[in-house]
Amino acid sequence: MQIKEYKSEKLREKYFEIEHSSGLRIFVLPKEGYRSTYAIIGTPFGSINTEFNLKEGKVRVPDGIAHYLEHKLFESEDGDAFMKYSETGANANAYTSFDKTCYLFSCTEQFEKSLSILLELVTSPYFTEETVAKEQGIIGQEIKMYEDSPEWRVLFNLLGGMYHSHPVKVDIAGSVESIAEITPESLYTCYNSYYSLNNMALSVVGNVTIEDVLKVCDKYLKKQESVEVESLFPEEPYEIKEKYVEQIFPVAVPIFNMGFKLKADRLHSEEELAHLDILLFMLASSTSPMYRELMDKGLINSTFSYEMFEGGGYSAILFSGESRDPEKVAEIVCKYIDKAKAEGFDEKDFEDSQKATYGDALSSLNSVETIANMMEDFYFSKRKVFDYYDAIGNASMDKAKLILNEIDTDNCTLSVVKGE
Amino acid sequence: MSTNIRTRLADNVYFNEIQVDRFKTMRLTAIALLPLEKETASDFALLTQVLSRSCKEYPDFTALSKKLSSLYGASLSAGVRKIGESLALTFSIAGIDDRYALKGDVVSSELSNLLLKVIFEPKLIDGVFDCSEVEQERRQLIDLADSEFNDKRVYANARLIENMCKNEAYGIKRYGSRESILKCTPESLKMAWERMLEGASFEVFFVGGASSQGIQEIFKEKFSLIERKPEALNTEIIRKAENVNKVTENMDIAQAKVLMGFRTDCCKDDEDAFAMRLMNVILGSGTRSKFFLNIREKMSLCYYCFSRFNRFKGILTVESGVESSNAQRTVEAVLGELEEVKKGNFTEEDVRLAKLSVASDFLSITDTVTGNEEWYVSQLTDPQFLTVKEITEKLNAVTKDEIIAAAKKLTLDTIYILSGEGEENAD
Repeated sequence: MQIKEYKSEKLREKYFEIEHSSGLRIFVLPKEGYRSTYAIIGTPFGSINTEFNLKEGKVRVPDGIAHYLEHKLFESEDGDAFMKYSETGANANAYTSFDKTCYLFSCTEQFEKSLSILLELVTSPYFTEETVAKEQGIIGQEIKMYEDSPEWRVLFNLLGGMYHSHPVKVDIAGSVESIAEITPESLYTCYNSYYSLNNMALSVVGNVTIEDVLKVCDKYLKKQESVEVESLFPEEPYEIKEKYVEQIFPVAVPIFNMGFKLKADRLHSEEELAHLDILLFMLASSTSPMYRELMDKGLINSTFSYEMFEGGGYSAILFSGESRDPEKVAEIVCKYIDKAKAEGFDEKDFEDSQKATYGDALSSLNSVETIANMMEDFYFSKRKVFDYYDAIGNASMDKAKLILNEIDTDNCTLSVVKGE
Repeated sequence: MSTNIRTRLADNVYFNEIQVDRFKTMRLTAIALLPLEKETASDFALLTQVLSRSCKEYPDFTALSKKLSSLYGASLSAGVRKIGESLALTFSIAGIDDRYALKGDVVSSELSNLLLKVIFEPKLIDGVFDCSEVEQERRQLIDLADSEFNDKRVYANARLIENMCKNEAYGIKRYGSRESILKCTPESLKMAWERMLEGASFEVFFVGGASSQGIQEIFKEKFSLIERKPEALNTEIIRKAENVNKVTENMDIAQAKVLMGFRTDCCKDDEDAFAMRLMNVILGSGTRSKFFLNIREKMSLCYYCFSRFNRFKGILTVESGVESSNAQRTVEAVLGELEEVKKGNFTEEDVRLAKLSVASDFLSITDTVTGNEEWYVSQLTDPQFLTVKEITEKLNAVTKDEIIAAAKKLTLDTIYILSGEGEENAD
């Protein structure tokens, strides 16, 4: 077992990275003065991982299976994990995203017992025909709840417009039809590959010590054979599929998502990510001329936002909001991106954006939940947390310009959901 | 939990200093409480928007945003919320603690001063608010009012309250109606601003590691120049529902939303308010509740079904999303679970764990900056602020019999169903 310490004087934080003898990767960040502890264990198995290579050969599983598996792991032969958590007072949950599945809890006492429930949950699968069938109704309603969410619809319509074949365009929970194909066997196939401990990571942050964590891990986690699994994605062209996608839906204010599709042959590094964050702030935050023009023309309201969206085989910059004229918004957004590419930035604006990005990133270190989630994300994307913070402080305009050139305003999809 | 030092600065103006040095940011929030009225709700809502977009020194939102971004991306936000039948106008500024500034900058006092300028020194033209700014913010507030319809869960919830409380002030939306937003003028906002400064009850919260003495002095000085006439704040409590009001609407949606509103015959200052809070946990809040275990897990009727107790208004609401054809079955299931609680069909262990879960949530709250503030905001208009320890003790003293008694006080007032189109006869 190997323990490595990472320390940041500037941030006044330190954390430990442990290669546990079971194969599990563990991160621990003790927070002085905090009453609560947050623990999260995850695997890089999300909705996009529907095709993968195992030693035995290539496997294809139904859409929505990662999310289904998440629901089903909460059940074991001796009962439901929520019931067990209720005995420790912990607040537990789980979620499935495009590229990972995570199980978590937060507690203020009985940490060791809660952690043992979490570890037991992910290491003791129990799927039968009957328990698998029971979940169809619950998840069916979850899918329908999202069908009624215009934000969800506008996003997936956008992804469908941007991507030709990458599974990021498929709903995370799948469809009522695809989940009907899920069987105990297919769940076990996924479980036995991605839930092998060497593919997972545990992050614990808060009122906790490294010893508290290791004591429980040593007791509950046995050494496992490593399992190699390789996610497979279909060939995806660089070009978007469609420029414009629209859906009619009962909404009073039309909503839009626009996405600039980027090359996705690799994930961005910490340094590139830091520059992207500064760049987007400079381009589109409420201080920017772009925002000003959109507001003055009455085209957006305070719901306008932007984000970097990337994972295995997909990468894009998204803008979203409500607007009575989304096409005009898209035109103005593109105009300012092209203008920045041609003319560059103002040094003072760059410095202020750098400070603002730093302040924003810093405030996320207040929350045990945010830190732990960030540690999981960063580990699965092969990034180091403190390197990202350092990169914001050391950012340069020249590097920001290089990143800006990755954006091609012709490679952009606009998705709109509006009323009749 | 960090102690709250509460100081009176003027008539019904209090400053709460919550000293904590474990966070990397500080936060200052001023809350002005005024009666919720049909005629003025929109003025106050629009006022918070207009005030927070500029001030005399930074006369438009680009100038103000640039100032904030140079202060390490500090955030300034404002809005309104309902607390019982009071309207809480909230102005907050949050930013990094001085210890983390990159080049030894001092930001916290500048942030605090900025919030004061926003509240007390707005940009006025000829004595009233800038017409073009009012128009900009009006457009956005109308978007906000309209967009409530976009999210069907939010919409259904609003429709339940509108129907249930149609003859009470609580039926008014926090930002009024589209029509009343259209009636606001630069002059009516000026009057609202003056009324706020003179008539609102203020609670100011500072959460951070630095001293707030300086900022308290300035608040005090500002208020000393105002002739204060604090207005009374009341909430009408209807103790019992007389009959069940059933409303069904149809819309082209995939999932029906089933909502139910009960009168609890119990509100914040009543002795059994703590029993009602625990009753809510056992009935329908959390993953050990009757709703979760039976309506979701056993019956597989829904993905979500939960209840919420509003101690300010003395109502309990239930929300769920189901197949339209299952709407009636869900209503019956909810009433069935309530019947179980009334009959005492839950264990002492359930009571102990409900208490444990609430206590754990309370302690976690204090590990976030906003949580430290929110703890007291959730007690606004109470006779006094209690600590986590004090409230936990009161909850722990509740017995199973008291929970049963609380459940027995519930009367169903309104059922609101938003159904998928064309399925209204499927029940």
